[in-house]
Amino acid sequence: MDTQNPDNRGEFFHQFLDDYYAECDEHLVSIRRSLVTLEDEVDTRTIDRPVLDNLFRSFHTLKGISGMVGLGAAEQLAHHLESYLRELREGSVVLSEPGFEALSAGVSQLEGVINARHHDQPVPSIDEIVERLQAVSSDSAGANSETAPTSAPETAENHAATTTRWQVEFTPTAELAGRGVNVNSVRSRLQEIGNLIRAKPIVKSAGEIAFEFIVATIADKNALASFEADGLTFKPAPVESAPRVKDSQPVSTITPATIVRVDLDRLDELMRIIGELVNSRTRLEDQVAELKRVTPAALWRSLEETSQSMGRQLRDLRESVMRVRMVQIGEIFERMTFVVRDLARESGKKIIVQLSGGETEIDKFLVERMMDPLMHLVRNAVSHGLETVAEREAQGKRSEGLLSLSAMTAGEMIVIKIADDGRGIDRNFVLARATARGLSHGNAEIDDAALLELICTPGFSTRDEADRGSGRGVGMDVVKKATEELGGRMLLATKVGQGTSFTIELPLTLAIAEALIVSVNGQRFAVPQSAVREVLEVESASTKVLENNEIIPYRGKVLPLLRLARVFEMNYKRADSFHVLVIGEETNAMGLAVDRILGQREIVVRAIKDPLAQSKGIAGATELGDRRVVLILDTTALRQLAVTSKH
Amino acid sequence: MPDELKTNNILVVDDSPTMRRMVITSLGSLRLVKSTQAGSGLEAIERLAIGPVDLMVLDLNMPDMHGMEVIDFVRSHQAYRDIPIVVLTTKGDDASRTEALAAGANRYLTKPFDPRQLADIVGSLLKAN
Repeated sequence: MDTQNPDNRGEFFHQFLDDYYAECDEHLVSIRRSLVTLEDEVDTRTIDRPVLDNLFRSFHTLKGISGMVGLGAAEQLAHHLESYLRELREGSVVLSEPGFEALSAGVSQLEGVINARHHDQPVPSIDEIVERLQAVSSDSAGANSETAPTSAPETAENHAATTTRWQVEFTPTAELAGRGVNVNSVRSRLQEIGNLIRAKPIVKSAGEIAFEFIVATIADKNALASFEADGLTFKPAPVESAPRVKDSQPVSTITPATIVRVDLDRLDELMRIIGELVNSRTRLEDQVAELKRVTPAALWRSLEETSQSMGRQLRDLRESVMRVRMVQIGEIFERMTFVVRDLARESGKKIIVQLSGGETEIDKFLVERMMDPLMHLVRNAVSHGLETVAEREAQGKRSEGLLSLSAMTAGEMIVIKIADDGRGIDRNFVLARATARGLSHGNAEIDDAALLELICTPGFSTRDEADRGSGRGVGMDVVKKATEELGGRMLLATKVGQGTSFTIELPLTLAIAEALIVSVNGQRFAVPQSAVREVLEVESASTKVLENNEIIPYRGKVLPLLRLARVFEMNYKRADSFHVLVIGEETNAMGLAVDRILGQREIVVRAIKDPLAQSKGIAGATELGDRRVVLILDTTALRQLAVTSKH
Repeated sequence: MPDELKTNNILVVDDSPTMRRMVITSLGSLRLVKSTQAGSGLEAIERLAIGPVDLMVLDLNMPDMHGMEVIDFVRSHQAYRDIPIVVLTTKGDDASRTEALAAGANRYLTKPFDPRQLADIVGSLLKAN
């Protein structure tokens, strides 16, 4: 440990940057949550004390760690936010509307500063926001005494007379700690059964340390038996032990969580290893099948059972690791609420945000990739979808626009929906513009899917309208691309005067997928099962050629065919019949012609990173049981290839 | 084991996990030092109860139990009275420095801290004890 050069502080603290960004993220999430609560308390004198304490502490910590990593702008901004919070806490200022706005603008800017550093971009100036914060403070002179927080008033006891106050004593020992019984776990267990009024350390007569908790609960003494097994003692709290003396501890309602932070890369590594296990298991399964002919039946059956149960355990293992990667989507919704509020204020619109399914879990990797696209949809809804108060009232709508953000899981997919009750998308306008830009040929009737296709065409919207609200370099084409790259799809439903909703469906996880294994000219390919709508067997005689395109009859209409052999420039000989995988949406479905379907497999998806090996139409590679590499088809790209080759 | 050298146990108390890692890594340059950590005042007291603690690096502003209260507790009990305490707090001012030193903190450092300075101070306090 003598290698570090302590003179070079910047370099020394550089190694903690990942921890720093992760911790900043946690604090910013919790800050936003507190701000939402605080917003209802503007201009009142009854501010929720624990909320203020948590906010204060978050700013304080952000200030400390930002200083350590040398991010001065974040340190200073957090300092000013903390100072304003201190005044609120001391009651020397009342939370006013401009005060709240300065606070939330300060938080946005703080996030901007941290993100800018994270992504190696120029750090924005904080001067303006600091001035705003100083303007709402009472003393710009800055009597910033760092005093101990004055003890919070005792938690209000609003229980009925049936609650009993118990004085609980807990003596920690190494043995108990080894069993996971410690001051934190005892504390949260007590919080579960009642209202924790006080927690403080004491020294017993024999000199050992113990903790004394006062808890008010309706649980009777029998219910406390499980605590006694862990060495806790209970007695009715003496009346005088409900003191308002200085040493009574403010007991925050935030329990110290037993949470481990893990770098996503490490989880990816774990997933990769599991992926290899899945491959080995598949090989094992094949080998067991081969052994059937030469092995006594009883022996073979037990071998087969072992292999099967290993398969199940592997699936459980995979699911457990996947669960570790999951985060609740509510965090993102809260971030969006924040953005909506700012935009609404700027544009003078009134908006009610409705959240549902915030507890739905989504892979952290997906969240990070979808953050900007989802934010774009939300901004669009506020800037273009929802009308102003005057416009709404003129149409007899209620003056507040409704924006609903919801999430749910459906099978192997997660469904995120962003809906507004605004003006809806004007088809004629979209068509006219698309025609003007040469993106459409001006057909009269288009359905929602075709409409979505049009507004997601690169170049549909221009830079001059990409205003602050919905611009930022992300267009609808980017939203669609991001969704499809992750193996998901986007749907649109809109009605003029009634509103618009975007639905995004994403796979729960990326690394392992169900796939169909197909063969073309002796070569095998994997096609993600989620992309395949139907599999058909087609007689060669039933295909027709129309304007240089092969088509087959399909559900009363025709289905254009794309011959994989032709896409990848392989020779193919006509057989009497072949198989077709139907891909794409109803309106733009397409048939992928292959020779044979070999089976269905669980495959481990690996990206192809070498740019020389990357090819349009190939999403990645996987290994089958026989250790041979098989390419995974990118059906979205194939569809595009087919469309462009038509022109 | 020939001539067992005494290992010093340092308790690092801070509610920020990143900050705890920074402190522990800074102290990594010291020899024969083992660090344990606590994320709150109450947890710090529990650590004292469970294992030997030869020195504390203590943050002030923490949930549950303020660092000042931890100092008060440690100094007012026979068994722990002599444990050196290094207060490591964010941008303090004179009032709280005076307050902390009066309550019995041995040293008062502010964040951002210099890792070598922290290691030097902790090292010399351990030697003196």
